[in-house]
Amino acid sequence: MLNRIKAIAIKEMRQLKRDKRMLYVLFIFPIFLLVIFGYAINFDVHHIKIVIYDQDKSTDSRNYVNSLTSSDYFDIVGYIHNDKEIKGVLDTKKAQCVVVFPRDMSQKLYSKQTAKVQVLIDGVDANTASLILNYMNSATAAYSQKLQGNILASIGRKAYIPIDIHPAFWFNPDLDSTVFLIPGLIVMILILTAVVSISLSIVREKERGTIEQINVSPLTSLELLIGKTVPYTIISLMVGTLILVGGHFLFGITFKGNLILLFFSTLLFLFAALNLGIIVSSIANTQQVAFQIATLVSMLPSMLLSGFIFPIESMPVVVQILTNVTPAKFYLIILRAILLKGVGVESFWPQLVYLMIFSLVLLFLSALINKKSKIA
Amino acid sequence: MRIILNIIIKEFLQLKRDPRLFGIVFIAPVMQLVILGYAANMDVTTVHTAVFDQDKTSTSRKFIWAFERSGYFKIDDYVDNYSRITKDINSGNVLWALVIPKDFEKNIERKQSAPVQTIFDGSDGNKTSIVFGYLQGVVSNYSTNIMLQTMDKNGLKNPVAGSLTAEARVWYNPDLTTRVYMVPSIMGLILMVITTILMSMAIVKEREIGTLEQLIVTPIKPYQLIIGKVIPFIILAFVDILIVLSVMVFWFGIGVRGSFIFLVFSSFLFVLSTLGIGLFISTVSKTQQQAMMVAQFAIMMPMIYLSGFAFPIENMPKFVQYLTYLMPLRYYIIILRAVVLKGAAFTELIPETLMLLLFGVVILYASSLRFKKRFN
Amino acid sequence: MFSIEVNKLTKTFGSFIAVNGISFNVNQGEIFGFLGANGAGKSTAIRMLCGILEPTSGDAMVGGYSVMNQPDKVKTEIGYMSQKFSLYNDLTVEENINFFGGVYGLYNHKLEERKKWVLKVAFLEGQQNLLTASLPGGIKQRLALAIAVIHEPKIVFLDEPTGGVDPISRRNFWDLINELSQSGVTVFVTTHYLDEAEFCNTITLINAGNIIASGSSKELKTKYLTNTILEVECDKVIAALDILSKQKWIDETSIFGNYIHVNVKDENEGRKLIKKVLTEQNSIIISRLDKIVPTLEDVFIYLLEKDENKNVE
Repeated sequence: MLNRIKAIAIKEMRQLKRDKRMLYVLFIFPIFLLVIFGYAINFDVHHIKIVIYDQDKSTDSRNYVNSLTSSDYFDIVGYIHNDKEIKGVLDTKKAQCVVVFPRDMSQKLYSKQTAKVQVLIDGVDANTASLILNYMNSATAAYSQKLQGNILASIGRKAYIPIDIHPAFWFNPDLDSTVFLIPGLIVMILILTAVVSISLSIVREKERGTIEQINVSPLTSLELLIGKTVPYTIISLMVGTLILVGGHFLFGITFKGNLILLFFSTLLFLFAALNLGIIVSSIANTQQVAFQIATLVSMLPSMLLSGFIFPIESMPVVVQILTNVTPAKFYLIILRAILLKGVGVESFWPQLVYLMIFSLVLLFLSALINKKSKIA
Repeated sequence: MRIILNIIIKEFLQLKRDPRLFGIVFIAPVMQLVILGYAANMDVTTVHTAVFDQDKTSTSRKFIWAFERSGYFKIDDYVDNYSRITKDINSGNVLWALVIPKDFEKNIERKQSAPVQTIFDGSDGNKTSIVFGYLQGVVSNYSTNIMLQTMDKNGLKNPVAGSLTAEARVWYNPDLTTRVYMVPSIMGLILMVITTILMSMAIVKEREIGTLEQLIVTPIKPYQLIIGKVIPFIILAFVDILIVLSVMVFWFGIGVRGSFIFLVFSSFLFVLSTLGIGLFISTVSKTQQQAMMVAQFAIMMPMIYLSGFAFPIENMPKFVQYLTYLMPLRYYIIILRAVVLKGAAFTELIPETLMLLLFGVVILYASSLRFKKRFN
Repeated sequence: MFSIEVNKLTKTFGSFIAVNGISFNVNQGEIFGFLGANGAGKSTAIRMLCGILEPTSGDAMVGGYSVMNQPDKVKTEIGYMSQKFSLYNDLTVEENINFFGGVYGLYNHKLEERKKWVLKVAFLEGQQNLLTASLPGGIKQRLALAIAVIHEPKIVFLDEPTGGVDPISRRNFWDLINELSQSGVTVFVTTHYLDEAEFCNTITLINAGNIIASGSSKELKTKYLTNTILEVECDKVIAALDILSKQKWIDETSIFGNYIHVNVKDENEGRKLIKKVLTEQNSIIISRLDKIVPTLEDVFIYLLEKDENKNVE
């Protein structure tokens, strides 16, 4: 039996080796994508464009503006001088935020009243808008505290902060979002490679009729499937390694955890992904349809349902249940745990179990479907 | 031009005979939009928290209550040692832990600064930043209350100094729901995926089965074949556009604030450019498998990541930002968001519309050039 | 004027010469056969003549137009049936007819007229709603041929049209080709079936990009093969073959089923020597020794070997 599997695996590898374009795409593109995306994707907001509408024109308003620009969060791109211009600025996206200082601001400050700074935010991009909101609030609170401190000091009193927070940010002290997103990128590339390539490979044999030849041989369905998955597993592993190494050198992704565990988990994930591809090939008869279905179950779900970009906890319960449809979800948790947190298997063994169950269910299903028609 | 009509009829007949393709073109977009529309949500709603109260006084309990009352935080675990905290954070059960040290109440009463420890899982830097912002808000409210109480006790009615607060108003999306922002973009994503996939198989499939040779031998001109192949898919895509727009408006309740007709028109232009890209892929690929790989890795993935759909373009490094100008999806998303959310008129979006038109025309023309009726 | 005039047509792929400056002419209404092994250059040549492959040098006039400079005009004058099955399997018979008819500019009553003809000729009258995929192989080929000439071209190119088709269907197919030829259509066929080659008016043998023989079946058998072919029936066939092939006075030996064909310069000498070498020296019993009319296959093999040897020298 092993020999027959070996024969299929070798044939598959030879066919792959001869298809130079395919190999090119399989290996070069992921690296290329890693580089581009690694630099492109992040949520960290810097250089937010803001416009100032200073009706107060006092030292205080100017000091406040200075404090805003002292960090690189905000970039002032203009000053406006009347109400009408506000809409224009936000509508045309000239700036994402307009800071308005009311006319009596400093007057209020020194007469022990609360002065309100108006912050108008373009809320279309809710995520960035929330961040802007937060920054603005913190910046304002900080400035306010400083101001109070100064005033208190000038009359001989000491200001104090009632509650002093000491934050510790584990795993990712700089709160760098790239580090968090790269594993998701890896997962997506891996699942695409695995699912699409194997489903196409099987369907192509169906289309060409070479499957008939195989059906007539003593090869069993199981042997055929295993033999076919071997080359793609190897390739996916190679691609995955390439990406991780690339990620390490380019973006400083470290392997805080156990490498062997990483390897084993990746293998398990690939097993699940390949099974998914096999199911796809069982229900598709032409390569065109196989491609559609394969993309449907791998591309968008792995990006949007796996927790890569959008946190699963924020989704409605129904959708949360649906996220279990993609093995990417489980693997992403494991990958993040190993790469970012450096924790051991005790923290993510449930995911490993889920992956196993996922694969076995799919294997069982595809065996059931194939039994009826012997892959033809 | 009857020849073109002939080709169109043939394409539709072929499509009709493949029921699976049909389902993919009409049913899948709806399903995807609904599921992904709900999934695409970056709003942080429930923050899982662990609390280690070393003080166990009424003050510390009030402090903890302040967090719960804010509505954001959910206390999942009351622990009494650090190793539990480590376990909780490592396994991802909680996002952060609040540690209240022993003399909390005493410090507050003595008007001394009370230190409080917060330990965060920093892996998701973005989420953590946002949550930290919430935390600061809660703490600052609590601090202000304490200060007011002390001043009250000491008979001081008014604050010694004025304070500065920020009053934020969020435009276009006052609830800061990501869904409003995401759904139109996901619509664009789905349209792109479907049209690119469909079209990328168009020519290469005929090449693989051999009918292309039969076509080349006839007096048919390249532009006739190309137009004949593109038009059926334009019609299909058009139906898709209407379908997904309906889902967006009626299911998600996201009304189109701007011109509906312009929306449809620009969708049509967008689809033209993606069909053109798919066609181009088809003319440069030797096998369907190659076409699919190129479509996925070289076209769809970059477009998804670099179009501004999830990751703001402003955050990307300059050289990557230049790359995004090459993505039709980028312009389409800008138009979508502007028209749906801001009610922008056509006149404000002329550059983007022109770019889409240019893309469509140029790419289709390039494809027809590549499709020579003679091999070398 | 010739229907097809080929003048030093050449095609190279890098350093590989696929077609090496071939020249020949075809008369209107002729059935012209292009014979050769796989990879000999047949498909390359036919593609150039159809205007879908650009020649490296040389030219050909097909239907009065140059394939080098006027390929689009050439396409209006010809029909073509490719090696791979070239109709759409997922369309019905009628839909295929409508499509290709339309592509060739046939509409309304002209299309209807030709449609009737196609259906009749392919034995598919009344069956136009069948899905093309469901048709048996022989019928499919007839349909493909009929559609290839739906626009009544003066010349039709058939590239290995009967691959994988049963003998009876093949015979029927050639009846159709004869009909076309009778009605004045030039039929240019490539094949490697020698029995089909017999049906052609002119047979041209191509090997490694060169034409090594040309003429009618009769001409080929007499002009090229001046030797005599003797057929030997004996026991111990394999041993006999081995012995005979080593003899220097024999030009060619080949085995046909259980018999050996021996190619000798002189009949009488040949008979004597064969008996001597087999029976006297090796105790092989000869049951029959006849002179036979050479088959095309004999000619073929002889010419191919001669060409190969020439290249080796």
